[in-house]
Amino acid sequence: MQFTQKSKEHIDSCRFCWMCHHVCPIGNATGLERNTARARALGLSLVMRDAIDYSDDIINNVYECSLCGGCMTDCVTGWDPVMFTKEARLGAALDGKLPDYVMTMITNMQKKGNIYGARLGKALSEKIKPLKKSDTLFFLGADARYKAPKCAVEAIDLLKKLGVSFTVLENEPDSSYGMDFLVSASAETKEIAEKCAKVLSGYKTVIFYDPADAKIVKREYKEWGIKVKADVMTFAEFLAKTLKKQKVKKSKFVFTPQDSAISARDLEETEAIRTVLTKIGTVSEMLLNRNYTMLAGNLIMNEYMGDVMKKIAKNRWINAQNADAKILVTESPAEYVMLSKTKPAGIELLSLEEAVLKCL
Amino acid sequence: MTDFLFDVIATELEDAVGRENCSTRTIDKLTHSVDYFWLSRMWADRGLRMPEGDFVVAPKDAKEVSAVLKIANYYKIPVTTWGAGGGTQGGAIPVCGGIVLDTKRMNKIYDVNEKGMYIECGTGAIYKHIEWAANEKGYATMHYPSSLTCSTVGGFLAHRGIGVSSTKYGKIDDMVLQMEVVLPNGDIIETSPAPKHAAGPDLNQIFIGSEGTLGVMTKAQMRIYEQPESRQFRGFLFHNMTDAFNAGRELLQKFKPSVMRLYDEAETASLIKKIVGVEKKGAFMNIAIEGVAEMVELEKKILLETFGKYGAEDLGSEYGEKWWKEKITFFYPGHMMDIPQCFGTMDTIAPYDKIENIYWEMKKAIETNFPQAKFIAHFSHWYEWGCMIYDRFIVDGDKVPQDPHEAFRLHQEIWNCGVRTALANGGVVNDHHGVGIKLGRLMKEQYGPAMQVFTGIKKQLDPNGIMNPFKLGL
Repeated sequence: MQFTQKSKEHIDSCRFCWMCHHVCPIGNATGLERNTARARALGLSLVMRDAIDYSDDIINNVYECSLCGGCMTDCVTGWDPVMFTKEARLGAALDGKLPDYVMTMITNMQKKGNIYGARLGKALSEKIKPLKKSDTLFFLGADARYKAPKCAVEAIDLLKKLGVSFTVLENEPDSSYGMDFLVSASAETKEIAEKCAKVLSGYKTVIFYDPADAKIVKREYKEWGIKVKADVMTFAEFLAKTLKKQKVKKSKFVFTPQDSAISARDLEETEAIRTVLTKIGTVSEMLLNRNYTMLAGNLIMNEYMGDVMKKIAKNRWINAQNADAKILVTESPAEYVMLSKTKPAGIELLSLEEAVLKCL
Repeated sequence: MTDFLFDVIATELEDAVGRENCSTRTIDKLTHSVDYFWLSRMWADRGLRMPEGDFVVAPKDAKEVSAVLKIANYYKIPVTTWGAGGGTQGGAIPVCGGIVLDTKRMNKIYDVNEKGMYIECGTGAIYKHIEWAANEKGYATMHYPSSLTCSTVGGFLAHRGIGVSSTKYGKIDDMVLQMEVVLPNGDIIETSPAPKHAAGPDLNQIFIGSEGTLGVMTKAQMRIYEQPESRQFRGFLFHNMTDAFNAGRELLQKFKPSVMRLYDEAETASLIKKIVGVEKKGAFMNIAIEGVAEMVELEKKILLETFGKYGAEDLGSEYGEKWWKEKITFFYPGHMMDIPQCFGTMDTIAPYDKIENIYWEMKKAIETNFPQAKFIAHFSHWYEWGCMIYDRFIVDGDKVPQDPHEAFRLHQEIWNCGVRTALANGGVVNDHHGVGIKLGRLMKEQYGPAMQVFTGIKKQLDPNGIMNPFKLGL
């Protein structure tokens, strides 16, 4: 396993630093010391020093991170565990040491075009088919298409209700978000990204339903030198702009936003969801909001750490309950799925489109 | 241990805490072998493996802890309790192998009790999490050490931790009301329902500071406070340390600020200049006063009058506010001493009649005997009767032996010199970082025959000596 000089520096800085211990959603859920940035760094630092092998055990630990960036955001000196974790995943791929559960998803990607190896469901397929051609593409993403089709259907319904001219692709290309999560910027990841970029470039505007796909296209594509000609924006951003122009009667509902870690930290977008919710009701915050949000679920990790993902979602529900939240609103299909599975009584969960549809 | 017996014990531990909470994975053993202790860090930095536990178990409550301790007693296996690993004294390192008992699954916050003004929680809760729980209801724990985000409630209790607002709100031992403790034989006990009483000695205080040698604290009621209506800062620059000590002592006879921190000239010219921006020469002192706004105004007046008498230059509120904002920044990699430097904090405490002399004697001892070491200090926890020194030695990387065993030796020699000087002049082995494996050998030197009280309790409660062996000098 070869690390870049930059990664080595970050690993050596993090290996003896505990300061971000409290913000790791995985560590908070499992209570396990290995689920901390410093533990991962310590293990990798010993690999760097040939004190231990880059074994299955250490590699599995590298895959127990959600890459949510809580540690990075919390670090006042700018050390970046996400960066070296991604590099360690790429290293495992290059060394031919990927765990079976990762290989399964990669094989799914190669054979079925998505890491879940799933097919588009009937309800969503039927919703997509009648849509006419448009120069605005509504990009659903793998999580919504295969794991949260109900959300995708409702999002399409909302756009229609708002009178937006748009289309959705039945054979939507994969953005490469999943591959980037699993093996970082591998040649295969970039190849998938390039194919997707070509398709996206055929449109004037692309609205990303899932912040995860928006992040890949807005951030990673740029870093990889992959250009997309279309204007790209998140669903929340698009809704905020669209609703601004429309007359909407403010409801009596009080909404509590669940900031997606990707929106808040990677895209630095926290106002859009609030603009939407303020337009249709009132916003009440949790203590840990915006950049300091806590992850509420990741569907890729749910494939191999399902119980932990449930605990993460449960912890976020506790945060919401402590804030006396009445309606929790999420902009991420992954978080919607995980929060749905663990929803306590007496508090409502809505996706952003459900919240708007409820008030229109 | 034979492979067969290893499997026997592993399956019994799995039965006690659940298979998924009993690990023999390399990553788990590794991460529980290195804490914040310089020696463990140096060892790992040189590519060496620290002593590791054979099993890492994570019980969810006192009942499961009890089951683990019964197994450990039967097979006579050492048990080292681990909070979050942020300790500096090697207290959580499983030096004899055996079982590492990680408490972080016991992180439940049971009750934010607004009437009783406490939070009841598992001792595996990260302190910042109980601070968040308090904040959500409009309160605060007022326990703000630099390790707030990376240490557990049990960790702070185990080594008698302290936060920056200690002068007004006290140490961790002042902040706990009641505890649940699992004794080494597996019995689950509760300490007195209230911390102030005349029902015999205080059971809380027997276990607080015992560093996992007498049992495992599993649940605690920690105090919460109303958020202050006003919190104001004032920075001062003293011409010399004597004036600063006298001013601080006099102030504390009148009222208690929350934060009181005096930095010697060397630390003012290094860390304070770098982080807070104070460029002038002298000894910087930061004071925070907080509470009801009207009282804060009155206390500010008394503060300015008192410090004025000792010729302190009033630097206004800016530096103090900056210090408060950056109070944890000091401890991030890049700001803090780090490998390859060799360093340590030899905090001690004494009454005002001794403390200044201890400072000068420790400074002289370190600088004379170890000319390769820098000595810097601040005085960060103050009482009506005395205060503590947070004095640090720093040896730059190019002066630290490359051979890890020689580096180890240098480290131990500096510590012996510093702590023995403190003891010889009326100080103690440690103020608030604890003893651990680092300072155990010096406990007998401080206590002399009084040490038999500790060894007697240890022998009675832990006859097999399984609980965190060689820590605390026990």
